[in-house]
Amino acid sequence: MSADPYNRKVRDSFAAPPHAGELAGGIDARVDAGDLRVEFAATLEDGRIAALRFRARGCPHVIAAAEWVCDYYEGKPAEALEVFPIARIMEDLAVPTEKTGRILVLEDAIQSLGRRLKH
Amino acid sequence: MPGKMIYLDYAASTPVDSRVLDRMREVAELNCANPSSTHAAGREAQAIIAEAAAQLAELLNVSPGSLIWTSGATESDNLAIAGGARHRTHRGKHLVTMKTEHKAVTDVFEALAKEGFDVTWVDAGADGLLCPDSFAAALRDDTQFASIMYVNNETGVIQDIEALGTICRERDVLFHVDAAQAVGKLPIDLGNLPVDLLSLTGHKFYGPKGIGALYIADRAGCHVEPILYGGGQQRSIRPGTLPTDLIAGLGMAAAVAATRIEPDLAHLRALRQLLWEGIRCVDGIRLNGDPGGFPGILNVSVEDIDGESLLLALEPLLVATGSACNSKTGEPSYVLRALGLGDDQAQSAIRFSLGRPTTRDEVEFAAARYRDAVAHLRKLAPDRAA
Repeated sequence: MSADPYNRKVRDSFAAPPHAGELAGGIDARVDAGDLRVEFAATLEDGRIAALRFRARGCPHVIAAAEWVCDYYEGKPAEALEVFPIARIMEDLAVPTEKTGRILVLEDAIQSLGRRLKH
Repeated sequence: MPGKMIYLDYAASTPVDSRVLDRMREVAELNCANPSSTHAAGREAQAIIAEAAAQLAELLNVSPGSLIWTSGATESDNLAIAGGARHRTHRGKHLVTMKTEHKAVTDVFEALAKEGFDVTWVDAGADGLLCPDSFAAALRDDTQFASIMYVNNETGVIQDIEALGTICRERDVLFHVDAAQAVGKLPIDLGNLPVDLLSLTGHKFYGPKGIGALYIADRAGCHVEPILYGGGQQRSIRPGTLPTDLIAGLGMAAAVAATRIEPDLAHLRALRQLLWEGIRCVDGIRLNGDPGGFPGILNVSVEDIDGESLLLALEPLLVATGSACNSKTGEPSYVLRALGLGDDQAQSAIRFSLGRPTTRDEVEFAAARYRDAVAHLRKLAPDRAA
């Protein structure tokens, strides 16, 4: 039997991502890259990310990575969005290397969100 | 039903019928001889193979001597196309096939093109059907060989083999049919069909994997050059030691199919209708291919859904995003693109294929799962227009 292309974290996040959905009153940023679309929305409290939500159209790894990203940044200062932990995401979710470009689209969206939060 | 896997991939392969398994076990335990041996056990093996040939011949209405055993449809297609075209170079070097053929056919034509043959790839219509007039228009004076599949493995579209074969006969073109998805599932009377060569495989109709056959019509000029060389078995057309137990299994599968084709078709028609009625309400869904095709296959696409995510969301359904033989590439189906679908539509395509053991409960569950999966993915996605 060939290996399951999705690890447990991907499967769980894909089935019921707690951070999926809209965020009332949040500031959002969106990137469209062909068939892949991702949107993040955040609220700030005292310079920290109080809530971060996503919506995404893409493969299971993209959806799981968007969930991972929301969980990772919540509670951190807004400046943290300038650094995107791609290596940790790739490893944690066992993302195939051929999908690196898709995860970089998430990075674009997060950095765009960071810029919008500054203004 | 959650947790239990539901197999809806019968176009990829079918479970072995219990009568086939019994026959294979019986033969394997009874006889270990090489059927080419002249001693008593070898002759017994020959008799078992002859019985299987008679069973398959009866299903197809041909003489047993017109059947060549192979390892499956891929080998049969290779032998028919490469062997047939090379045998007929005196007639010319122009060959005709269709863009929606299985890779076991298209790759052979591409290899022949590199050998210097000239290949014309005819288009299907948006419904997947090949118009006989378009086919006839593609034939030239130097056309010597054509290959068209009976039932498309992705869409279930059934080609008008009688009309296409008649055109070939009129133009002295050797006509091969890849019938891997048709034999044992549709009534096929080769005694009255203008077909020269026909490929089949056991595991598509509840027989074992690793065994198939090529039918070669018993008429003047209908011959193939071998693509394998060895001990001279099967008139040297396909040498190699014959696997007696697998052949006996294929024969039994044919005998079972002969009694099951009509009830199986009625069963599949009812289930396919049930499935389509259960999912046609999904916004943006489209049925791919001629709706009058083989009822064991339902291929659908849906707007703005990622195919890989859809496949995962459909678990525990075991379905296909395209031909099983092509699904590892991750590319949108070339068959569906040939029908005019865009990459987005082709990429979201799901092939449900139903079989003899499929139940109404499984189909109702599958329809509900499909609706829920699409709803889940649409809820996750941002709006299309930013």
